[in-house]
Amino acid sequence: MKNLDNLFSEKLPHESAEKHVSGLAKYTDDILEPTNTLYAAIGWSTVAKGSIVKIDLRDVIKSAGVCGVITERDIPGINDVGPVFKGDVIFSSKKIKYFGQPIFAVAADTTELARKAVLKAKIQYKKERPIIRIKEALEKKSYILKTRKFSNGNARKAIKNSQHKLIGESQTGGQDHLYLEGQVALAIPKEDNGLLIYSSTQHPSKTQQIVAKVLNQNFNTIDVHVRRIGGGFGGKETQSFMFAAISSLLAKKFNKPVKLRLDRDEDMILTGKRHDFYFKYEVGFSDNGKINGLDIILASRCGHSADLSEAINDRAIYNIDNAYYIPNVKLVSYRCKTNTVSNTAFRGFGAPQASFCIENIIDNISNFLKVDAYKIRYLNLYQKNNITHFGMKIKDNVINDIFNKLINSSNYKKRRKEIEKFNQSNKYIKKGLAITPAKFGISFTTTHLNQGGALVHIYTDGSIHLNHGGVEMGQGLMTKIAQITANSFGIKINNIKITSTNTEKVANTSASAASASTDINGAAVLNAINKIKDNLFSFIQNHFKFNGKIIKYKNNNIYFGKNKITFKKLINLAYLNRIPLSSSGFYKTPKIHVDKSTLKGRPFLYFCYGAAVSEVMIDTLTGENKLLKVDILQDVGNSINPSIDIGQIEGGFVQGLGWLTSEEVSWGNDGKILTFSPSTYKIPVMNDIPKNFNVKIYNKGINNENTINKSKAVGEPPLLLAISTYFAIKNAISYAKKNNKINLTAPATPENILNSINK
Amino acid sequence: MQNEIQFLLNEDVVKINNIDPNTTVLKYLRDLKNLRGTKEGCASGDCGACTAVTVEIVKGRLVYRSINTCIMFLYSLHGKQLITVEHLKKNNKLHPVQRSMIDHNGSQCGFCTPGFIMSMFSMFKNREQTSKKNIDRYLTGNLCRCTGYKPINLATKNMYSYGKSDHFYKNEKNILNKLKSINRQNIKIKYFNKEFFIPSNLIDLKENIKQYNNCKFISGGTDIALEVTKRRKDFESIIYLGNNKDLKYIKIVDKNIVIGAATPINDTLNILKKYYPSIAEMYFRFGSLQIRNVATIGGNISNASPIGDSAPALISLDSSLIIEGNKTRTVKLKNFFLSYKKTLLKNNEFIKEIIIPIDKKSIFKCYKISKRFDDDISSVFMAINLKLYNNLINKIAITYGGMAATPKSAPNTEKFLKRKTFSYKNIILAKQYLERDFKPLTDMRASKNYRKIISQNLLEKFYLELTNNKKITVN
Ligand SMILES: Cc1cc2nc3c(=O)[nH]c(=O)nc-3n(C[C@H](O)[C@H](O)[C@H](O)COP(=O)(O)OP(=O)(O)OC[C@H]3O[C@@H](n4cnc5c(N)ncnc54)[C@H](O)[C@@H]3O)c2cc1C
Ligand code: FES
Ligand code: FES
Repeated sequence: MKNLDNLFSEKLPHESAEKHVSGLAKYTDDILEPTNTLYAAIGWSTVAKGSIVKIDLRDVIKSAGVCGVITERDIPGINDVGPVFKGDVIFSSKKIKYFGQPIFAVAADTTELARKAVLKAKIQYKKERPIIRIKEALEKKSYILKTRKFSNGNARKAIKNSQHKLIGESQTGGQDHLYLEGQVALAIPKEDNGLLIYSSTQHPSKTQQIVAKVLNQNFNTIDVHVRRIGGGFGGKETQSFMFAAISSLLAKKFNKPVKLRLDRDEDMILTGKRHDFYFKYEVGFSDNGKINGLDIILASRCGHSADLSEAINDRAIYNIDNAYYIPNVKLVSYRCKTNTVSNTAFRGFGAPQASFCIENIIDNISNFLKVDAYKIRYLNLYQKNNITHFGMKIKDNVINDIFNKLINSSNYKKRRKEIEKFNQSNKYIKKGLAITPAKFGISFTTTHLNQGGALVHIYTDGSIHLNHGGVEMGQGLMTKIAQITANSFGIKINNIKITSTNTEKVANTSASAASASTDINGAAVLNAINKIKDNLFSFIQNHFKFNGKIIKYKNNNIYFGKNKITFKKLINLAYLNRIPLSSSGFYKTPKIHVDKSTLKGRPFLYFCYGAAVSEVMIDTLTGENKLLKVDILQDVGNSINPSIDIGQIEGGFVQGLGWLTSEEVSWGNDGKILTFSPSTYKIPVMNDIPKNFNVKIYNKGINNENTINKSKAVGEPPLLLAISTYFAIKNAISYAKKNNKINLTAPATPENILNSINK
Repeated sequence: MQNEIQFLLNEDVVKINNIDPNTTVLKYLRDLKNLRGTKEGCASGDCGACTAVTVEIVKGRLVYRSINTCIMFLYSLHGKQLITVEHLKKNNKLHPVQRSMIDHNGSQCGFCTPGFIMSMFSMFKNREQTSKKNIDRYLTGNLCRCTGYKPINLATKNMYSYGKSDHFYKNEKNILNKLKSINRQNIKIKYFNKEFFIPSNLIDLKENIKQYNNCKFISGGTDIALEVTKRRKDFESIIYLGNNKDLKYIKIVDKNIVIGAATPINDTLNILKKYYPSIAEMYFRFGSLQIRNVATIGGNISNASPIGDSAPALISLDSSLIIEGNKTRTVKLKNFFLSYKKTLLKNNEFIKEIIIPIDKKSIFKCYKISKRFDDDISSVFMAINLKLYNNLINKIAITYGGMAATPKSAPNTEKFLKRKTFSYKNIILAKQYLERDFKPLTDMRASKNYRKIISQNLLEKFYLELTNNKKITVN
């Protein structure tokens, strides 16, 4: 690793690692609640669509330990927690739009008593036939948002003039976040109508705003604190609001602290998941497999409300190219309204689904032309200065180099030969191999969200208190930002205290999402630091009669001219001379802009690139499969903390692996979710990761843009790398089939694999 | 008869009787003791976030087992030591497994970490070698959604390099003495209208049963606890069999393996491996180690789930059960299941023993197909017991799980194959008889069509594996 600044080469562990391993890291449910705390549970709809005829809660109220219930009538403000659009009602007393829709809530002496009480409700429904699946919604033109049409060049003409064309459809499955810490909030009444909320959320500011609106109070009466959350992955970007709002409503009504913690099954029933997509395409390409034009329909299951579906489906449009130059694109994006939970942000935010789609198209082209898919992939990769379908010039392209390097380092060509040999001599077990590239744009596609704030205090003993708008959810944000701070002041990281993210200290922040938290919050912190440093600079000039231009912060000292002074001494001296040692900071991402009507422009500051090779083995009698080997090369720019970045790559990959293999969200025709517990919904376990799991950071990585340390984001991009595993499976299937038409429904469960072989 | 239980919470002796018998260990730790390092991720035994370690004296030595506190009843801790994550660090010194975890960047959000640490700790205490197989065996019961497992795997692989001893070794004598001093008498705890009875031997168990008109037996509790944590049920009278010395054994008697019904599955594996390696192999995929450390074959059979793994295997092996209650009777397992979740057991009857005949000349194999290889309920399970005589099928027992409302054999298929040549052609022909034997259903685990095809392909696979003397598997 080359490093612009050697302080960053320290492979620092997670700031909370020691607390994690000792059970001392506190999550929302671990905070000792005040003694008079009540515990809540939600009563929710057991039908997917219809209306409520009668609600009888008398037995609920009479149930042991119950303090009281609330329904829609108890909401002083608006009955809605929708983050962008309206439509996410808290309690319904009439229309039911999905299985699991909250109707009332109970507060009781313990969580168990509250949950027991809820079961005693008698609710009568008038049932209606729900719309559950995407195709049903398309047939019935059931949309939650306006259909988006997008075009660049002339796709119809390009397809017509192409030597070949293929028509096809594909689909991706949904995915439950399965953050290990479920949804939870604790609301504590304070003076002057105030409320302090501890919530497991990726978005404290929005929690504050929404709860205030629900309670019909000013924003400044609500404080939200988040020290850390036990995983979010997008599932707590907006889905947490409902539970913060309900605990707040109960806390207000009974004037006592109220904790609401969802049972895992309830969490999986009540909260939104990754959008599943249906694609229908026509692609025109030349003899050698170069894509000329793509005409495509994208349809996603958004659920009963809009939530973040607009931005997610927009990002799917932006990522339909994955890493390929497609000169002509015509695209229609349907945002389907169904009677299911409102699907929401999930690591990748629509991009993995779109990448999957184009990779499948390329795979089908390769099968059609009977050439190894890596060649078609390579041929279509972006070249330097190509312009994307949304009009952004790609200036930082390194995908060709990454792809080539990985083909070589993974021994792809040699392994292909070995696999063919293996498959010839094995009738029932087949191996498969695939490489897929990935490109992922960084920035919120909703431009105004690309801003962040920070607050830095230096106390007179030289210790530092740090705050910013980002939430620590395992991604190592706090560690990286502490490193940035320590590095700027030339001091040791243990002088820096990381505290909970809270709305009192830094206001109007964006969600910790879109992989950009370090970029945005780190830059805001630096901005605050630089303001303090400016003060210190003038102070040093005046106080020490120093007229040089350069002051260095290093090894706990400040060097100016031939002099040096310890950081601690300088700070104390500055204080005595009445120099301000606190500052706020702010950052907004430069350069980005989008035309909202055409979606064209520069939605991203930069791109992250990567590629992965997967090798698998399938059992053609049962469909069982095994991932044998994975090689990854990922561009993270010039890393701030390589160990954290590697962790993000590995973790993202395995999460994507689950999405495309064992994780199957299953719905009944009546709209009830069938997989609502980790006993039926299977995420990968340790034995599912490949024995050979080689993850490397691209050693020439550097961000062309002016990010901290020239690093790049790393949270979401690696999830796309798991697409290689799916195509390795598809490749293995191709060896078991006589024809070259392979349809493999995602996720590639044993059942779907066997179906594909037998089709 | 005592009226309180005793156990060691870390190093402290705890005596209790004033807590609802339906309380789980996890709830006790988090809500009553404010020991909140142990996390709840699912409350159904599936995620391992709640893992702690119990310690018992077995043959004079301390045996460490990782368990899921979320589905263990508090009162079943009687006579044991419970070690929680807070106790690993001593005098501000981290335990070797903790240091290894930090050095390998094994935690991201950290919520799964205490559970992993405890699983690693139990492996460390059992001085297991850090082979891939062992690491998987100890850790597949713990889910992590952040790391992708690799750093945790490496942390475990290298844990001994952070020291092979710990403060627990130094304290073993003390713990042994404390545990030995705990009385092993019968215990009956009354809590308002509820009762928890821990009989220590068979005679007292049978004697006391008469007082109840409808008691609930608990062995490992891994199944029954879900009634409490998920279906919000409260049991009034519970009889805990897990501390009953007369129900916990596995031995060879005549030409049979006999297993006390309350023996944890994990304790049966060494012997089963010797006689029926295929069944032992299957049990390594049964739940997770945390489950197998407490779950029993008796409980697995009694809950009569159509997708339980023990029953089809044991039916094919022509096993029998000894049932106790008012009187003792022996029944063939194949006649035990009446209909969906219904068995021959009457009120207040329990299984005492499982008898598995040993037949060295028969060929036994079982196959478990699930969406995920480890810790997943079978979509289809097949067990075949075959005896050949000059390549003629002399005896064949084929039993399936997941194909009907109960574990069920395939009479038409068996009949067709009996006395036929053991040939590929006959096996392929037999497939159609399976369609007569079963009308499987669709659920979230598998469609009926997949179940149909798999049931047939497994038959074929069995043939191919046997004749080629080689496993056909990706695992
Ligand atoms: C995470 C998880 C994974 C699992 N994985 C598997 C799996 O892979 N395969 C599989 O088959 N099952 C699996 N199970 C379910 C399995 O049935 C139980 O885990 C276990 O075998 C039951 O044994 P137990 O001793 O814990 O039963 P308990 O919960 O104690 O009892 C189960 C039932 O049997 C009754 N009972 C118990 N002992 C006796 C007795 N001696 N006589 C009469 N009645 C008795 C009880 O009253 C109760 O009705 C899993 C469960 C969990 C939670
Ligand atoms: S909480 Fe998930 S296994 Fe216990
Ligand atoms: S570190 Fe977050 S679940 Fe494992």
